[in-house]
Amino acid sequence: MSEFFSFVLQNVPWGCTFALVAVGLVLTYRATGVFNFGFGAEAYAAGVIYAELYWHGVDRLWAAILVVVVIAPLFGVLLDWGLFSRIPPGNSMAKIVTSLGVMVVLPSVVQIFVGATNVSAPPAPLFNEYLPVWHIGSGPLFVSGSELTTMLATAIVLVVLMLGLRSRRFGLPMRAAVESPKLLELMGVNAKRVSRGSWMLATMLAGLAGVLFAPTETPVSANNYSVILVAAIAAAALGALRSLPLAVVGGVALGVVQGVVQGYVASDSVWYQALVPSLPFFILLVLLLVHPGMRRLENRNDPMSGVEPPAPPPALALRPPHINRVIHRFRWLVLGTVTLVVITFTPGPWIAALTIGASFSVIFLSITLITGLAGQLSLAQAAFAGVGAATTAQLAVNENVPVLIAAVAGAVVAGLGGWVASLPALRLRGLPVTLLTLCLALLADNLIFPTSWIGGGDNGLNVPRPHIFGIDFTAVDSKPFLLLSLAVLLAVSGVVHVLLRGTTGRALSAVHVSPVGAASAGVSVRRLTMFVFFLSAAIAGIGGALFAMSYLQESPSDFNWFFGPTFLVIVVTVGATTVEGAIEAGFGYALIAQALTYLPSTVSTNTNATQGALTVLILSVGAFTYATHPEGIVEAVKRSLARTVFRAVPANPAERQTRGVS
Amino acid sequence: MNHLLEVDDVSKSFGGHAVVRHVSFVLDAGASLGLVGSNGAGKTTLFRCIAGELPIDSGSILLDGAALPSRPDARARRGIARTFQIVELFGGQTVLDHVLVALQAHQGRQGPWRDLVHGGRTSSSEREKCMNILALVGLADRAEIPATTLSLGDRRAVELARALVGEPRLLLADEPSSGLDGEESRILIRILNRVRKETGVAVILVDHDLGTVKAVADTVIAMDAGAVIAAGSYETVVSNPQVMSSWLGQSS
Repeated sequence: MSEFFSFVLQNVPWGCTFALVAVGLVLTYRATGVFNFGFGAEAYAAGVIYAELYWHGVDRLWAAILVVVVIAPLFGVLLDWGLFSRIPPGNSMAKIVTSLGVMVVLPSVVQIFVGATNVSAPPAPLFNEYLPVWHIGSGPLFVSGSELTTMLATAIVLVVLMLGLRSRRFGLPMRAAVESPKLLELMGVNAKRVSRGSWMLATMLAGLAGVLFAPTETPVSANNYSVILVAAIAAAALGALRSLPLAVVGGVALGVVQGVVQGYVASDSVWYQALVPSLPFFILLVLLLVHPGMRRLENRNDPMSGVEPPAPPPALALRPPHINRVIHRFRWLVLGTVTLVVITFTPGPWIAALTIGASFSVIFLSITLITGLAGQLSLAQAAFAGVGAATTAQLAVNENVPVLIAAVAGAVVAGLGGWVASLPALRLRGLPVTLLTLCLALLADNLIFPTSWIGGGDNGLNVPRPHIFGIDFTAVDSKPFLLLSLAVLLAVSGVVHVLLRGTTGRALSAVHVSPVGAASAGVSVRRLTMFVFFLSAAIAGIGGALFAMSYLQESPSDFNWFFGPTFLVIVVTVGATTVEGAIEAGFGYALIAQALTYLPSTVSTNTNATQGALTVLILSVGAFTYATHPEGIVEAVKRSLARTVFRAVPANPAERQTRGVS
Repeated sequence: MNHLLEVDDVSKSFGGHAVVRHVSFVLDAGASLGLVGSNGAGKTTLFRCIAGELPIDSGSILLDGAALPSRPDARARRGIARTFQIVELFGGQTVLDHVLVALQAHQGRQGPWRDLVHGGRTSSSEREKCMNILALVGLADRAEIPATTLSLGDRRAVELARALVGEPRLLLADEPSSGLDGEESRILIRILNRVRKETGVAVILVDHDLGTVKAVADTVIAMDAGAVIAAGSYETVVSNPQVMSSWLGQSS
């Protein structure tokens, strides 16, 4: 029994870390209406700055104060002014995309400056690292300085926030500003100032979490913060993202349960490796399915929404027809020229990059389908690609199935995974769907991919390339394999294009904009939702299989969960509503990474990390313009160019309306 | 069994609060019925129960003597169409797209296989049918315009066209004159009556504007606190003392 209590007590500080982040998530959601996927990234940035200040000789307490009281709130002002204040209260999709943008972009920016693994853990801002040992029952209980600081901070933050949010002076305007800023302004309150204050408070909490967590592990890495973030989401979900005390209870309980399970399960067992880290995701999954408060997250109506500018309509219909005409007229010419250049002049490394680009393009087309058309922000598309890659590798390597047939089987298995995901998604809408897909990606990452009979173990599997018509596809820079990849891309593009412009696209877009209106018109929302999840996952599976063949290898970490949001943000930036948007994003992703290999080593000391971070940064920073350009910033530039070149203004009346032109 | 719609002893409550209480009525094919009552009388809830958007607690709703499927899209395909008090359009789609979505859903021609076989194109017969419906509601000349850019009266006409293209047998019109001025209301009444005459669709109309109810409905049911308090012709209902005291007190 005393062993049990020892496990419980030892893990309370760990639970407090979850609780603190969960409180930050709940506060941000209640005070700004934004589910802040970027919270972990903000905390990571704060942790790195704190560590850098400390290692450059600043006193640890002063460094912590500087980060939490000065830098973090200033960053909050920047976030509010530059991003979130520009999003209309009712546009929850833009809020999610923008916060996902922060989640993806901020770590990249930090890593460009300090590298991914170069920052050592600093000491805690208060107390000596190893405090006197306390004796509880028969065993000793160690409490480190960082643990004690975290527990104290959680308690203080909880009390202050609960009192503050209940107060008429601070709490009431903050909550009102989320529901309806316009209505608040009619009461004589400056809603912008209230919202800015909320963001300052929210980023201060992120800063505090960052400073408190930085001492726990060396190096200070973005991944550790992400893990805490997703565990904290489960804790926050316990109170339906609204209750601070429940978020704290959830956080502490989660840490304790995880610790107790960890204590009793043998550390060399599969359960230890798989179950312990997955526990928060299971809990989140169950809460999403059974907690009525989580299902109703999106049911929020601003009584003054009529006086806000209307949310921009889906962009597809507003595209100047000239772009499509140009594409239609020159597509074969462009394709022929590209093919000719590829088979004649292109050097080896670029052939390999183009091959990877083709596989990314296929994966990104799955996002065009599910996000651009059906309006579901899925964070699991990379996981589905991983399922396709793993199935292909297993069948081809262990069952001797021809690799192209294995790839088709991989697509079907991934599609079935998507179909299974659609079943709970039928009951949800908006943010809960995003959280659900995040959960599924994390479960795949922790439970499915690490198993040797799926992901192929730590080293993965060597994936063969096809042998057809006596052609050799095996060289890394094989031109025939590139042409084969391009042919697959062309076929998938054709399917997606036909669906976009056909009955499916029209019906999906109707369901996305008004499910109730679509149902009244006889459209089967259920069937379409299941179909779009199945097909998009299957397409991602094909892309994953191509990716594995391109690298001649499949490894469990190829499609870890963080690629889900990264891919989504990249596609949304370039343009999620058109087929060519996905293709541009796919090739852009691969070719920019290839181009960055030519960076002189003086620019980047930690070459790989910097290249990866820069590639993501270049392609995803446009997500911040999602509120004004839901069609994607590259697509917006294309439209603007088309209007200039073809004098195709004034666009159609809907666009004039959304731009405020009378 | 000659009735088109039979609503029998239907009740619906939310969290123990009864919103619709033991409501029964029948409607014949091609007939029209006006539902009137003050705010909170249970009209829209009853509407949503008939459309399948809310499950009923007790009672039964039969169409042509047969039980209805539970989901609203399946009911729509069985012949129950509806329009909304707050217009529900598909932002970004043209007027024609709205009608096409509904037509293809009703004809079972919506799906990836059809798109792959036909290259995503719309057939000329589908287009022609949609244009006929748009002509019926007076929107044929604006078929290619994004629907959300139209005036409220025209947006209501788009909803009507979307509802009618599947050749429903029952149209549920939820406060169609809400937000319209006098002239727009008169145009809408003309359209509704033309639609009834040309398509033979039965209509249940909820509206606060008694002029619209009088002009469109053959019979009227008055509701109060979830129950039917009077039924009959427009004149009978509005002169009913219970109706006058519960709702029409000041305005009649």
